Amino acid sequence: MSSPTTPALTIASSPLQLPRGLIVLLALLAVLILLVLVSSASGAVRIPFAELPRLLFGTPTSDEELLWRNVLLEVRLPRVALAVVAGAGLTLTGAAIQALFRNPLAEPGLIGISSGGALGAVAAIVLGAPAMIWLAPAAFLGSVVATSLCYHIGKRQQGVGGLLLTGVAINVVCGSLIGLFTYLADDNQLRSLTFWNMGSLAGATWSSLAFLAPWTLGLCLLLLRQWRALNALLLGEREAQHLGFAMKPVRRKLVLLVALIVGPLVAATGVIGFVGLVVPHLVRLTLGADHRWLLPNAMVAGAIALTLADWLARVAVIPAELPIGIVTSLIGGPFFLWLLARRAF
Amino acid sequence: MCGLSYDSSPAGEAVRATNESTLIPIMKNLFLALLLSLSTVFAQAAEAPQRVVSLGGPLTEIVYALGAGNRLVGADISSLYPAETAKLPKVGYYRAFSVEGVAALNPDLVLATDQAGPPQAIEQLRRLGKRVIVLPGAPTLDALEQRIQGVSAALGLRSDGSVMAAQIRGEVEQLRRTPSGAMRVLLVSNHTGKLEGAGRDTAADAMLKLAGAKNVLAAQKGYKPLSAEASLALAPAAIVTTNMSIQAAGGLSQFLAMPGIAATPAAKNKRVIVMDDLLLLGFGPRLPEALRVLKGGLVGVTMASR
Amino acid sequence: MLVAEQLSCGRNGRAVLEGVSLQLLPGEVLGVLGANGAGKSTLLATLAGEIAPLAGQLHLAAKPLLHIAAETLARSRTVLPQSPSLSFDLGVREIVAAGAYPFPELSPRELETLLARTLALADATAFTARRYLALSGGEQQRVQFARVLTQALAGKVVGEYRVLMLDEPTANLDPRHQLLLLRTVSALAKSEGLAVLVVLHDVNLAAQWCDRLLLLADGGVAALGSPDEVLIPPVLQAVYGVAATVLPHPASAARRLVLFG
Repeated sequence: MSSPTTPALTIASSPLQLPRGLIVLLALLAVLILLVLVSSASGAVRIPFAELPRLLFGTPTSDEELLWRNVLLEVRLPRVALAVVAGAGLTLTGAAIQALFRNPLAEPGLIGISSGGALGAVAAIVLGAPAMIWLAPAAFLGSVVATSLCYHIGKRQQGVGGLLLTGVAINVVCGSLIGLFTYLADDNQLRSLTFWNMGSLAGATWSSLAFLAPWTLGLCLLLLRQWRALNALLLGEREAQHLGFAMKPVRRKLVLLVALIVGPLVAATGVIGFVGLVVPHLVRLTLGADHRWLLPNAMVAGAIALTLADWLARVAVIPAELPIGIVTSLIGGPFFLWLLARRAF
Repeated sequence: MCGLSYDSSPAGEAVRATNESTLIPIMKNLFLALLLSLSTVFAQAAEAPQRVVSLGGPLTEIVYALGAGNRLVGADISSLYPAETAKLPKVGYYRAFSVEGVAALNPDLVLATDQAGPPQAIEQLRRLGKRVIVLPGAPTLDALEQRIQGVSAALGLRSDGSVMAAQIRGEVEQLRRTPSGAMRVLLVSNHTGKLEGAGRDTAADAMLKLAGAKNVLAAQKGYKPLSAEASLALAPAAIVTTNMSIQAAGGLSQFLAMPGIAATPAAKNKRVIVMDDLLLLGFGPRLPEALRVLKGGLVGVTMASR
Repeated sequence: MLVAEQLSCGRNGRAVLEGVSLQLLPGEVLGVLGANGAGKSTLLATLAGEIAPLAGQLHLAAKPLLHIAAETLARSRTVLPQSPSLSFDLGVREIVAAGAYPFPELSPRELETLLARTLALADATAFTARRYLALSGGEQQRVQFARVLTQALAGKVVGEYRVLMLDEPTANLDPRHQLLLLRTVSALAKSEGLAVLVVLHDVNLAAQWCDRLLLLADGGVAALGSPDEVLIPPVLQAVYGVAATVLPHPASAARRLVLFG
């Protein structure tokens, strides 16, 4: 079947020519670093950009500098770090779940993670947890229980269809329980609930990040290594099996990784929607669906998206701030629409 | 519900103030004593916080009532009374205020209710070196007194606060002694076109209790959607609601025509009391005024006041 | 070697085929023929290890097929299913490279050489840089063919047993590419020692390119043997339910030409 004029050289890329995915990745990393700097340097408290290095590494010489240093170290940097970690985790898992379900509309919430987390948080608030610190553990527990229920019931079916249907059912059950708890909630609890549901990065502290950052990024690395399985899944479940990726273990591994990444994030930030849904899609439209490059690029793009959203949330209505969930959907929604219209799907 | 601890500094200040005042009799020279006491006054005035951020409408109201409104440099968006609050920079809703927004106003005192948050935010403010005083937000006369004492102590206006608290308690006690006839009352709010009735454990229920009225929804906890049928069965003799609820309904006549309202004895007898939201439910220094209006409405002296 | 003995195949416990015994020999192309619903695809899925046999023995290298881990099996068994689909748009090169996923030990250089070879073998080199979903059905089929060739040839050492299973690989192809594909398969079977099983509809293509033919009918094997042995009117009548005439091929006297009706 070979034709004599096969230009075999065209596909053998020379060692000097970097793959497009890597070039975009490096560019996105540069943007992220720049954005982290800009975001760290701006906020309600005006800190001169040039002072940043001295504030971080030097000793403050005045009360004003001490305040700047404290704002930077105690308020801004943990928030920026949480935005980077949460954005990366939510988007990477979004990309993985979209590949698992082979559907661009899929997101981690589809297997009960978000609604389970919300149910845990709502239950903690309404059943009168003694302190707000119980919110995060309850939310994590909720998301893990909901997702594992979803997995164990869904795995009886062939393919991901069962998982999808079980996810829908789990979301309905969680939603109705949330509704019931909301009904039982008093005025005060209701207000707490509303704010938790909007999502926020304001709770970022170094002590929570000390666990969250290595946990999330470590599991993300494990998920990045699954790019071959995810590519194979795009060809079909049978094809993936033929290529050596048995459906059941692959599904179990992916669901487990996604739940372990998103669960603590939901617990730490509440429900931040849209990033995990739209950003992987944007990267796919730009770079194609090859997960070898899609996954790392989506991770960095997600970190950029959430850092940007948090920055805007902090500086838009100084000295107040907007809930980040509102910013992500406010910017992401129209942008997504514009993109869809332009591509004429 | 929140696990935040109350700041202990008002008590600490009380101790220090006593020590300073005992200095004065030791001085033999009257002139010297005068000079010294003057300097103490100045020192206290200089120490008293001049840049205050208030997180919670009722706290803001107390600051103004103490005549210290000019010291406020920022407030949360629930601070709507008095009208001067409109000019203050707003740092967000007290449940989701911006830590850095507060810090940027460079306050030397932050007043917050125990419902202010997010949970880590108060802690972060303290770590920034800000003095934060957390006061109970509960809708009770006792908690109101604690709020007034706490705010006034923090502002260096302790005696003014004590006077105000005593006056409020006196007026409230007096109002409670006037007969009310234990009228059956329904308190509803309406934000979305659907009526919600106030049960127990709400500021609304606490107000009704103080006014000597009987909340027909005492069996339920918190605000719940009001079933038209239930409200007819409960047959309230009077209905209390807020200005915003009337606005959301599109006017008083539309409100009176709503299912669950129209057929009640209260609506038939036009026994509906409409009050400002913050006045009715804020549990601020205007509590006696709020009670007076409410009770007046209930006994039919004033109809549909304010 | 893949060996089946007295195999019963079917889905959900209902047997479609019974008593199938065959060996997939290295260097040989085995064509599977049968009417619609005769169980060709079910047999292929069973031999590929996708569904468990209902009865009988199925071994690869003397091991029960079902006991072999998916990633191990993928190194010696390659399948091209019918009507492959793609959920998100991948580049042609990425799809063909997926064939090498079971062989992570390949160096980038080895992979590039292999891809150049398989893309050329499938006559898909011209659209290497294009997006898969922008291709025509026939072009997509050639890309999928290049992918399975990649998997079948990746890291193969001389004498190693590899089996390639193709389910109606010519369905979307024009006559020229049908011939090209089957010629490539036949040539690779000889040169690389691949064992090939191919499900076909076109009896004459099967007669031309297969070394042995398996004809399925009435829930079992109707005939198994060389094209000369099995392509005879009574067998064809039994398999397809229509009268068949078998003539010597006008272009080559050694071959048969089957006419139905």
